[in-house]
Amino acid sequence: MVKEIYNDRIKEKILYEELDTGLKVFFMPKPGFTKKYAMFSTHYGSIDNMFISKGETDPTTVPEGIAHFLEHKLFEEEEANIFDKFSALGANINAYTNFNQTSYLFYTTDNFYESLELLIKFVQSPYLTDENVEKEKGIIAQEIKMYDDNPRWKVFFNCLKAMYVNHPVKIDIAGTVESINTITKELLYKCYDTFYSPMNMILFIVGDLSFDEILKVVKDSEKKGSSGEFTRIYEEEPNEVSQKLIEEEMSVNIPLFYIGFKDTDLGHTGREAVKKDIVTNMILDLLFTPSAKFYSDLYNEGLVDQTFGAYYTGKKTYGHSLVVGQSNHPKLVKEKVLDLIQRPVEDILNEEDFLRLKKKNLGGFLMGFNSEEFIVNNFIDMYFDDFNLLDYLDVVENVQFNDLVNRFKSHFVSDNMVLSIIKASKDE
Amino acid sequence: MLKSKRIEIGNGVILNLVQTDKFKSNLLSYYFLRPLNRDDVTKNALLPLVLKRGTKNYPDNLLIEKEFENMYGASYSSAINKRGERHIIRFTMEWASGDYLLDKDQDLKVIKMLKDLIFNPYLEDGVFKKDYVAQEIENHKNRIEGKINDKRQYAIERCLETMCKNENFSLYQLGYTEDLKDLDEKKLFEHYNKIIDTSIIEIFYVGNVSEELEKYLIEDNNMQRDNIVSIPREKIISTVSQKTAVSEKMDVNQGKLVIGYRTGIPFEDKLYNALLIASDIFGGGPNSKLFRNVREKESLAYYIGSSILKYKSLMIVDSGIEFQNYNKTVDIINEQLEELKGGKFSDEDIEISKKSIKTSTESIKDSAFLISEFFFSQNICKDIRSLEDVINDFDKVTKADIISAAESISIDTIYFMKGKN
Repeated sequence: MVKEIYNDRIKEKILYEELDTGLKVFFMPKPGFTKKYAMFSTHYGSIDNMFISKGETDPTTVPEGIAHFLEHKLFEEEEANIFDKFSALGANINAYTNFNQTSYLFYTTDNFYESLELLIKFVQSPYLTDENVEKEKGIIAQEIKMYDDNPRWKVFFNCLKAMYVNHPVKIDIAGTVESINTITKELLYKCYDTFYSPMNMILFIVGDLSFDEILKVVKDSEKKGSSGEFTRIYEEEPNEVSQKLIEEEMSVNIPLFYIGFKDTDLGHTGREAVKKDIVTNMILDLLFTPSAKFYSDLYNEGLVDQTFGAYYTGKKTYGHSLVVGQSNHPKLVKEKVLDLIQRPVEDILNEEDFLRLKKKNLGGFLMGFNSEEFIVNNFIDMYFDDFNLLDYLDVVENVQFNDLVNRFKSHFVSDNMVLSIIKASKDE
Repeated sequence: MLKSKRIEIGNGVILNLVQTDKFKSNLLSYYFLRPLNRDDVTKNALLPLVLKRGTKNYPDNLLIEKEFENMYGASYSSAINKRGERHIIRFTMEWASGDYLLDKDQDLKVIKMLKDLIFNPYLEDGVFKKDYVAQEIENHKNRIEGKINDKRQYAIERCLETMCKNENFSLYQLGYTEDLKDLDEKKLFEHYNKIIDTSIIEIFYVGNVSEELEKYLIEDNNMQRDNIVSIPREKIISTVSQKTAVSEKMDVNQGKLVIGYRTGIPFEDKLYNALLIASDIFGGGPNSKLFRNVREKESLAYYIGSSILKYKSLMIVDSGIEFQNYNKTVDIINEQLEELKGGKFSDEDIEISKKSIKTSTESIKDSAFLISEFFFSQNICKDIRSLEDVINDFDKVTKADIISAAESISIDTIYFMKGKN
C-alpha cells in the first residue's frame, strides 16, 4: 500500500511502498524539474568486513576494500557492457561506496522507466568470472594510487587511524593494493548474497514522474526471492584513541591538519542520532566558522586561512568531530583548540549566536531541496539510520541551547583528541 | 522555454533576468570581464579576498559573516576564472527566498549586501586597510603555491602552460607569487578602481522577478562610467609547428599523463558541434574509445578522458597510470585517435554521444547557478541561441562532420609527471 509523508514547512512530499520482497521504494515528486534521479542502495559499506551469513554460525572476515570491489564488478554482464546500455538510453550511470552503503545511481532527462528497469536488473544479477575479477584489480590499483597522491584524503584517513583502535572505519574504503589482490570470485558472491538482499536495500527516486508507473516497473523487473538474515560484527572499540599524533610527508606547499575528537556516546539511531549530529555540528559552527570569534582570531593571527572549518559525522558504531585546515603551525593550532575547549563553556557558547545559527540551518536546509542530488543522498544516508529526512527541521527546532552545553562538556575533552598532519616534503 | 531578459543599463553594464519559480532560493551574480594579461592577473585574483574582509557598513569579516547567518544562511562566493583570454571575476549570492521564510525584507537585504561587498569596501585613509591587504597577500601566496597539492589538476596546468607558452592563455588564473611582492594597499586600491570603472559588468538574477525588483535592479546598477575596456576575441592557433614532450619528477605514487591537442575549430564555426561530439566519442564517458581501450580492455588506468577547451579550441586528454606504462598508454591513445579520424565508430556511438551532450545541457535547467553560467557564456560568445536551440543543433551533426572535425585534431604537447625514484 502506498503511503505518503508531507511536510508543510518545506512544501515537499514523499510517497513510499514496501514490496513483498522487502524492498522499499521511495519517491519525491519534483514537478518542473528536467532531470530524473534514481538511486538503488544497499546498507553495505566498507566497515562491514565481518559478518555471519544466513544459515552459518561462524563469522566470516573478508579482505579490506571488498564492498567497493563488488560495486565495480556489478557493472559486468555476460553479453554487453552496462555502461553502453545506459549510454544508449541517454542516462548517466554511476556508483559509489562509502563507509556504510553502496549506491548505484543514474540521472536522465529521457527514457527514465527503461533506465530504471536496467538499474534494478543489473544490480540484482551479478556476473563474476575469475578473468573479470582479475582484470578489475589493475583498474582499482590505479584508483587506490590516485587517492594515495591526494593529501586531503591522506590527512583524513590518517586522522581516523589515530582515533580508532579496532573499528573498520579506519581502513581505506578501496582497501590496499595488497588486500584487493586476495579478493576472489567466491568471496565476492558471498558478500553479494549476504548484503544485496531486497530487505537490506532501498530505492529512491526524485523527479517529474508518476509513482504508479515507477512501482509497476520495479515490481516487474525486481528479482523475486527470500531475504536472508545476517549479523554484522564489529570488534569492540575502546573509548581511548589509538595515538595522539600522526604525521606523514607529502609534496604539498603548506602543512595540512585534521584535529579529531572521537565520540564515545554511541549506539543511537533515529531521532536521537540525528539530534546528536545536529547539536554537535552546531557547536562546531559556533566555534570554527568565519562568524566565530575563535576562527576570526586565528585567521587574523595568520595561523589559519579560508580552508579552516569543522564538521561532525557519525553512525551507530562510530563518530567524530573533525577540525580541519592548513597552517604553517598545525601544532600551535591544536594547542589553541585545546585551550579553547578547556575554557568554561559559558565563555564560548552563547544563546544569541545559537539562535542566529538556527536561522542559518533553516535557510540552508530549504536551499538543499533545490538539488535532487542533495535530496537523494541525504535521504538514503539518514534512512539507513532509521530517520526520515523530511522530519529534519522538526528536530532542529527542538534543539535547546542547553543540549549544546551538555554535549560540549562530554564530547570536547582532551583525552578524545588526536592530531593528523601532512608535512611538506623538502624538495632537493 | 528558458529565456534570459537582457537589459543594457548603459556604460558597459548589462542586467540579465531569468524568471523561474522552480527553486526555493534566488541567485544574484556580478561578473567583471578583464583581459587576461600578466600585469593584472595576480591583482585581479587577490581582489575578492580583500573585499571580503570588510565593507563600509560591516568593517570586519566577523560582522559580515554574522549578517549572512541572519539572512538565513545566505551563501556568498567569489571566483576567479579564465575563459579563453578573458579573466573573469565573479561575485555571487544565493539565498533562501523570502517567500518561503515569510520574511518579505529578506530578498532586498541580501541584494544590498552583495552590492556593498563589491562596491562599498572598508577603507582607511582613502584606501584598503593595510592589515587586510598584507594578510590576504600572504593567504593568496599560499593559494597560488597550493596548486601543486592537486597533482591531477597541476599536470593539466603544466601541460597548457607548456603548450601555450607564447599565448596569454598560458597564464595561471590565480597569478604569480613574485608579482605579489611589490603590491600594497594603495596599488591594489588603484587597481580596484580601474576594475570598477572600466570593466564590462554582467549582472544575473535567477529567481522570482517582480516588476518592482526589475526596476530596483536597473536603477541601483546605473553607473556613470566611460572608457570601458573591450576585450578582443582570442586568437586560435591551428597548426602545430613543433611537437613537444615534457616530463617532470615529483613525489607521487602514480604517473599523471596529459596530452594537449590543437583543433583549430573556433566555437563560431559550424564544425564546432561536430568537434564536441568527436571528443565525446574519443574520451567523453564510459562508452568512449579511451575508456573502453585504456581502462576496460588493458586495465591501465582508473580515470581517462578527453575534453574540449572552448575559447582556445584545444583538446585535453588526461589519465593516471603506472610510470612504466607511459609508452603503452600513449600508443593506444594515438591509435584510437587515428581510428576516430578514419571514421572507425558506429552510428550508435554518434547517437550515444549526442544524447549524453544533450542530457547534460538540458540538466542546466535544474540549477540556478548553471543557468546563470550558461547565459553568461552565451553572452561572451555573442551566441543568441536559447538553451533549446543549442540542444537541437547537435542533431544536425553528421558522421562526415565528425570525421572532418577529428581530422583537424593534432597533437601538440605531451606532459608526464613521474615519480622521484
